[in-house]
Amino acid sequence: MKNENKVSTYENPFLPEPARIVRTYHLTEDVKFFQVRIADMEKALSFKYKIGQFAMISVLGAGEAPFSISSTPSRPGLLEFCIRKTGIVTEAIFRLKENDMIGIRGPYGNGFPVEQMRGNDILITMGGLGAAPLRSVLLYCLDNRDQFGRVILLHGAKKPSEMLLREEFLSLKQRQDLECHLSVDKDDTGNWTENTGVVTTLFPKIENLVPSSTYALVCGPPVMYKFVLKELLKLNIPKDQILMTLERRMKCGVGKCGHCAIDYIYTCLDGPVFTYWDVIHMRELI
Amino acid sequence: MNNGKLKIGIFELTGCAGDALLILDCEKELLDIFKAVDIQVFLMASSEVTDEKLDIALVEGSVSTEKEIEELKDIRERAEVVVAIGICATVGGIQARFTDPKEWENKYKEVYGDIEMTHTKAVPSKPIDAYITVDTYLPGCPIGKDQFLNLFTRVVKGNLPERYPRPVCVTCKYNENDCLLNKGIACLGPLTEDGCGSICPNHNVPCFGCWGPVEGANLTSEYHLLQEKGFDIEAIKKQMANYSGTKLVEFFKQLKKESK
Amino acid sequence: MKIVKLKKENLFPFLEEISKEADLWAPTKVESDRHKFQAIDDLDQIDIEYTRTILPPRKIILPPTINMFQASDKEYKEDFSHVSKKIIFGIHPCDLHGLLIMDNFFTHEFYDPYYMESRKNTLLLGHSCWPDENCLCKSTRTHIIKEGYDLFFSKIDDTYIVWIGSSKGDDLIRAKEDLFEEDISDKDIKKYTEWGDERDKAFQTEINFDSLRDLMELKYDDPLWKKVGNACLACGSCTNVCPTCNCYNIQDRPVLGENYSEIKRCWDACTLENYSEVAGGENFREKRSDRLKLWYTHKFQVYITEYGKPGCVGCGRCISTCPVDINVKTVGKSLDGEKVDSFWNRLDKEVTK
Repeated sequence: MKNENKVSTYENPFLPEPARIVRTYHLTEDVKFFQVRIADMEKALSFKYKIGQFAMISVLGAGEAPFSISSTPSRPGLLEFCIRKTGIVTEAIFRLKENDMIGIRGPYGNGFPVEQMRGNDILITMGGLGAAPLRSVLLYCLDNRDQFGRVILLHGAKKPSEMLLREEFLSLKQRQDLECHLSVDKDDTGNWTENTGVVTTLFPKIENLVPSSTYALVCGPPVMYKFVLKELLKLNIPKDQILMTLERRMKCGVGKCGHCAIDYIYTCLDGPVFTYWDVIHMRELI
Repeated sequence: MNNGKLKIGIFELTGCAGDALLILDCEKELLDIFKAVDIQVFLMASSEVTDEKLDIALVEGSVSTEKEIEELKDIRERAEVVVAIGICATVGGIQARFTDPKEWENKYKEVYGDIEMTHTKAVPSKPIDAYITVDTYLPGCPIGKDQFLNLFTRVVKGNLPERYPRPVCVTCKYNENDCLLNKGIACLGPLTEDGCGSICPNHNVPCFGCWGPVEGANLTSEYHLLQEKGFDIEAIKKQMANYSGTKLVEFFKQLKKESK
Repeated sequence: MKIVKLKKENLFPFLEEISKEADLWAPTKVESDRHKFQAIDDLDQIDIEYTRTILPPRKIILPPTINMFQASDKEYKEDFSHVSKKIIFGIHPCDLHGLLIMDNFFTHEFYDPYYMESRKNTLLLGHSCWPDENCLCKSTRTHIIKEGYDLFFSKIDDTYIVWIGSSKGDDLIRAKEDLFEEDISDKDIKKYTEWGDERDKAFQTEINFDSLRDLMELKYDDPLWKKVGNACLACGSCTNVCPTCNCYNIQDRPVLGENYSEIKRCWDACTLENYSEVAGGENFREKRSDRLKLWYTHKFQVYITEYGKPGCVGCGRCISTCPVDINVKTVGKSLDGEKVDSFWNRLDKEVTK
C-alpha cells in the first residue's frame, strides 16, 4: 500500500537550499573564490555557522561535496568558499558563472572551539588550500579583535601565483594588530618582497610566544603538517591547543553515510577540527 | 549545424559492435537521446560521417590495426571527452588474450597464413588507453543499458559519471544469491566489475568475468582459493584470461614466477 | 507485558486479516536451501522454519536504492515513495536487535527521515528460532528480546505464545481477537521455559565479546590484520549481509529529456576498494586490512562504547557468506588468542612459505 503523503514533520537534513552565486573569480589557476547567497533571504540570514564548519554544495547533474566555509559568521548573509578543481563536482562548480544556482546545506561539523580560544593568543599556520577554513578564523579574530590576544598569521605557498588570497593577506600587513608573515618556497616573479623559504622558516619571526596561552591552528597539505607540528611542539604549545582541520570523503554531512568514519568517530560530526592529541590518539587521522 | 546541442560521435573499432547495437536497442529512450544531442558519427545507425570537432566520443572495440591507431588518435584530437565503452575498448576484450608477441604471431599465422594485408597492418589487440588518454570507462560485454543511460544523461549535462567500480558480488548479494564459491563453484564474481545485474549467478551459473577485471580485485586470494578447492589451475588461468584483455598480464607473469 | 496464546492453525487466518491493511513481508524459501524476506501474496509462500535469510530485514525498511528527492535549479521535491505500510512477520531476535541498533543510529544527532519514516510505518512481528553452528547471538546477548517488536511469536509445539510489545501490536490482536486465548497455563509456562533451556544448550559457538573491545585496541598492529587483508576479496558481502551496516552513497542522476535530476541513495560498503577515496584520487583506506579494521572496530568496539552492546548481533550471516572465512567468528576468536582454521590463515602459510 503506497503512502502518498510524507508523514514527517521533521526537517529533512538532506534537502539543500537553492543558492545563487553572487561573485566568482580565480584565486590561482586551479582554485576559485565563490561568494554565495541562499536564495531565500530569511534562510540566508538564519544560516548560523561557526568558524571551521563546512557546508555541502551541490551542482545539478554533477553531485554534492563538502567544502570549508571561508567567510566569517561575523559578517552574515553571504557565504564564501575557496574551491580547488579536483573532481567531477568541483569541475562543474568551476563552470558556473555569477547568478548561476547551486544547492547548499549545512553548516556541519564541530568547528573551532571559539569559547576556549577567547582571551588567548592565536597562531594560524596555513599552506595551500588550508587558507580556505583558516581565513574564516582569521577574519573572525580580526572582527572581534578585543576578544583575542596576539593574532599571528603564517602563510606559505610554492610561489607567489599559487598563494591563495595573496592580495587580501598582503593588504592585512598594514594592520598593527596582526602579525602577518607570508612566504613562498620560490619567487619566480622577481618582485616578491616578503619572505622566501618553506613556511617553517617563518617561525623564528615569532617572538616571546607564551605557549600555555596560545592556540595554534594548522591547515595545509599533508607534507606541511609534519614539519609545522614539529615547530609547534618545539614552541611547547600543549598538544590539545594545537588544532587542525582534516579532509575526508563525505556524502551526507550528518553522520549517516559512514564514509568519513575514523575509529569510533565521524569526521562530519566530531570533526573536521581535531586537536593534535586526537591525531596521536586516533591512529588513522593523518 | 550548430544548435547548442552537444556533438557526439560513436565509433567502432575491432569488436562485435554489440555496444553500438545496445545503444540502438534503447528503444524507449532513443528519441530522447537523439533529441538531446547532435549525433555526428554513428555508423551503426547512419553511414553519414563528418570530421567536425566533437564534444564526446564513445569508442567501442579494441585497437587491432595500424589504421585503427591513427583513427583513434584522430578521435582523441577531435573530441573533448573520450569514453571507452565495452570491454574490448576498456581492457582489450577476447581478441587481446594473446598478449605475448610470439604467441600472437603464431596465432596470426595460424588464422591468416601468409596472406599479405595491403591496406593496413595488423597489430596485437589492445584497449584504447594503450594509445590515448581516456576520460571515463563503461565496461560490459555488451555494456548495460542502465549504465549507458546513466553515463549518457550525465555527459549530456556536461559531467562525467562518478565512477565507482565494484565487484559483481555486490549486486549478487542484493539479489540474495548464495555465494557460488561457497558451493564449490569457480565463480569470478569477486574479480569482475559489476554492472550486469549478476545475471549469471542469479541462474546458478558462475560469473566468467565478461565485464572485465574490477579495480582492486584480489587475484592472488581468489587464485589460491580456487586452487584449494581443487580446480585445475590452467583452466582457471584460461578463464581469468578470457575477458581480462591486457589488464592481468602482470598478474600472470607473477604467477609464472611463483610456480617456478 | 501482555501475553496471549494462538493455536498454530490460527496463524494464517490472523496474518490474512492483518495483511489487508499493509504489505506483509515474511521469510520464503528460494530453491532448496536459501531464504529471503519477500512481500507475500500467498501465505503458503511463507517458510517460518528458517535459520537465516541472505539479507537482513533492514532491506525492507531501506532498499539498496531509493530516490531521495528530485532536484532542479529552483526547488527540491522530496521523494518518499519507498515508504508504505508494512508488516514483517518472522523476524528472529538477532535481527530485531539489528533494527534496534539501526533505529538508534539513524536518530542519533540528526534524524534520518528516509530510514525513520519507513521504519515508523513498519510493524515488526518476531518469531522464535533455533541456532545452528554459526549463530553467535548468545555471545552477543541478542538471543532474547524484550523490546523493539510489536508482537513476538514463540512457537511451542502446536501453539504460539504471543508477546505483545507495543500498542500497535495490541491493535493487531484486537483486529481478530477471537483467534487468541488469554490464559496461559502452568503447563504452557513449563514447556516454554524448558524449550528456552534446551535452546540455550543448543548454541555451539561462543565468543567473549567483552574482551574484544580492548583487544581491538591492544592488537591494532597484530599480524592478523595483514593476514585477513591478504585474503579479503573486497567483495563487500560481509557488509551487505550485516544487519547493523548502514553506509550509503548518493548519486545525482539527471533524467533524460527533463531539467531535473533524481538524487539516489544506494547502499555502500566500507570494505570496497574505493570507499574512502576523495576527489582528486587520494584513498584514505587503500589497504584491505585497513578497511577490515574499520569494519571490525565498528562491530567489536564502537557500539559497546556508545550503546553498551556490540555492533554485532550474532546472526552469523558473515560466517555463512564470506568465501575466505573472514568473519566475526574467526576474527573474534583469533583476537582472543585462539588458533582458527580458516582460508585466510592457510593462505598466509601458502604465500609466505
